[in-house]
Amino acid sequence: MTINVDSFPPVRIPEEAEALRPQVKAFIAQQLMHMPPHRRARTWAGFDADFSRALAAQGWVGLTMPKEYGGAGLDAFSRFVLVEELLAAGAPVAAHWIGDRQSAPLLLHYGTEAQREFFLPRICRGELFFCIGMSEPNSGSDLASVRTRAEKVDGGWKVNGQKIWTTYAHKSHYMIALVRTSGTSEDRQAGLSQFLIDLSLPGVTVNPIKLGTGDTDFNEVFFEDVILPEDALVGTEGNGWAQVNAELAFERSGPERIYSSLVLLDLWSRSLKDDHDAGDLERLGLLVSRLAPLRNMSIAMTGLLVQGKSPVTEAALFKDMGTEVEQAIPADIADALGARLDRTPDPELMRTLAYLMQLNHVFSLRGGTREILRGMIARGLGLR
Amino acid sequence: MSDDDNILTETFRRVLGDVVTSERIRAFEDSPALAPIWPELAETGFLDALVGEEYGGAGLSLAQVFPLVLALGEHATPVPFAETMLARAWLAPHGISLPDDAAVVLAPRSAILPFAEVATHALVADRDMIRVVEVTSGSNDVFRAGGALTLNPGRELGAFAGTPGDLLLAAAALTSGQMVGAMARMLDMTLNYAGERQQFGRSLGKFQAIQQQLAVMAEQVISAQVAARTALRSTHFEPIRVAAAKCRANEAARLVCNIAHAVHGAIGATAEFDLQLFSRRVKQGQVAFGSERYWAVELGRARVTADCQTTADFLRLHLMDEDV
Repeated sequence: MTINVDSFPPVRIPEEAEALRPQVKAFIAQQLMHMPPHRRARTWAGFDADFSRALAAQGWVGLTMPKEYGGAGLDAFSRFVLVEELLAAGAPVAAHWIGDRQSAPLLLHYGTEAQREFFLPRICRGELFFCIGMSEPNSGSDLASVRTRAEKVDGGWKVNGQKIWTTYAHKSHYMIALVRTSGTSEDRQAGLSQFLIDLSLPGVTVNPIKLGTGDTDFNEVFFEDVILPEDALVGTEGNGWAQVNAELAFERSGPERIYSSLVLLDLWSRSLKDDHDAGDLERLGLLVSRLAPLRNMSIAMTGLLVQGKSPVTEAALFKDMGTEVEQAIPADIADALGARLDRTPDPELMRTLAYLMQLNHVFSLRGGTREILRGMIARGLGLR
Repeated sequence: MSDDDNILTETFRRVLGDVVTSERIRAFEDSPALAPIWPELAETGFLDALVGEEYGGAGLSLAQVFPLVLALGEHATPVPFAETMLARAWLAPHGISLPDDAAVVLAPRSAILPFAEVATHALVADRDMIRVVEVTSGSNDVFRAGGALTLNPGRELGAFAGTPGDLLLAAAALTSGQMVGAMARMLDMTLNYAGERQQFGRSLGKFQAIQQQLAVMAEQVISAQVAARTALRSTHFEPIRVAAAKCRANEAARLVCNIAHAVHGAIGATAEFDLQLFSRRVKQGQVAFGSERYWAVELGRARVTADCQTTADFLRLHLMDEDV
């Protein structure tokens, strides 16, 4: 079946989910009152443990987790509403982001009862932060070639190898890592497994990687004879590739793929109220026209997730287009501001612009590169 | 969409497949005339799909009729069927009756008027009235698709309250719907061609460079379809929804036409090949009823003046893909 407009069936966000919106808006307004736009522009790259714990105290971390595991027992529509508001306001959500979006659903689905009982309540309380160990120095887009290896030892597993580009590993408590448990990298997808790795264990070394912007979001993580307990394995040994793929629809279908530059767009849009030319309005309108169907596609995919479907190709198509708009927003605004030689722009607007202009070129890399996504879409079109 | 709606769409598609053949479209382009396509389509009864039940129509919503509008585009239908459907729905409550064989175009101010070459009637607007008039067209069918640059108005059949803006919104929305239908068909044709055409010993679709382009084409088609679906919900067209839909359809058309023809090579532009029947209509649509710049400025102005804290709020309040 090829992908087309019917792959995104229109759906209305239920009233129960919309009811959450005013509460989230009020909470954010109070929490972010003193946070300047150039900080808010970091959104899901902004790490603030206090904010995440305050959010957890509201019951809004692990929103979709069942109540018996400390969650709110709400559906993906409620999470869409919550996340949309957080991202649109530029809330610093990075601390709990991975645990909330990926690790908790993964553990709920594939974890043992003991793993669920230990980890899920702690994620929901904002006590445990997670990172994802996927890329390695020689495994980027070609993820199946990972070499980090876990071998069975008496009473557990011994891990050796290295991960890289691990977002906020230096501030996280656990990593969920994709590693090889049998065969060699020539065996590709076979023989891969997922493990919960406590980053405080002996043999784990986390080295932050400094970016040209001065920020340090990424890390390289080394494992040297790290001994994991038996129950560090997530799901089934050898089933890691399938488990990782099941996460992709969650990782690529959300509003974070269209709102990364929204704080800047709105700051600029407000500045246009009293002073704009037709060119400014045209640029703004074009950006809005690209965002509008994408938001509706994200809601449609939320509906599919609620029905238990996994719209992986749809999510690839959405993410590719979404990151393109996220990249265009800073570029277009830079062009608009740079054309006004007659005036000095607002310093805060320029700080926000400069932050995003130094990063927008990498928006298409995180969570699957543009070229990989387009390959997936081509497969969905029946071409491969 | 309900099963009934699906049956309706499938029935209409089948009729279009039988009636609007590429041979007939070519004959139409050589010598534009309503017959034989128009009478055969009119016979189906679908022209009164949007007319209220109290006026003897089927009383369908525009959301239900959206797949039909797409289907008209998918078949490069050279006659103003969607426009006449809407005109009949608008006129019925005012007791203004059209001749059974009237083919109506919407004629707000526009650089070009699709279908005008064969229209018998038009809706035209002055300050606060929309008037139904008999028309004859000039012969400036510059795209060879049955359009015209101007219309010569004749006798007036009646008028009702409405503005030039209302008429433009309706025309732009229906044009967006037919453009995205045509673009979806171009995508299908291009995927098929990429599967058949062999170069360097394998089909074009096996080349990564081609695959990446087709992925982009699919993205553009689908997002423009979603935008059109959002605009074609009610016969009271919402300006913000229509602005986004026409803007998106026009912007998508650039890439879609370029990629479709790039993958086909020169054969795609030849008279004997069907692709150009669609791309010429899509391009005529780009020029009609407001270009992407026109609608982008409108949409940008709406965003700047809206009382919305964030653009997410603006999208939620004005651009949801759900009924108005």
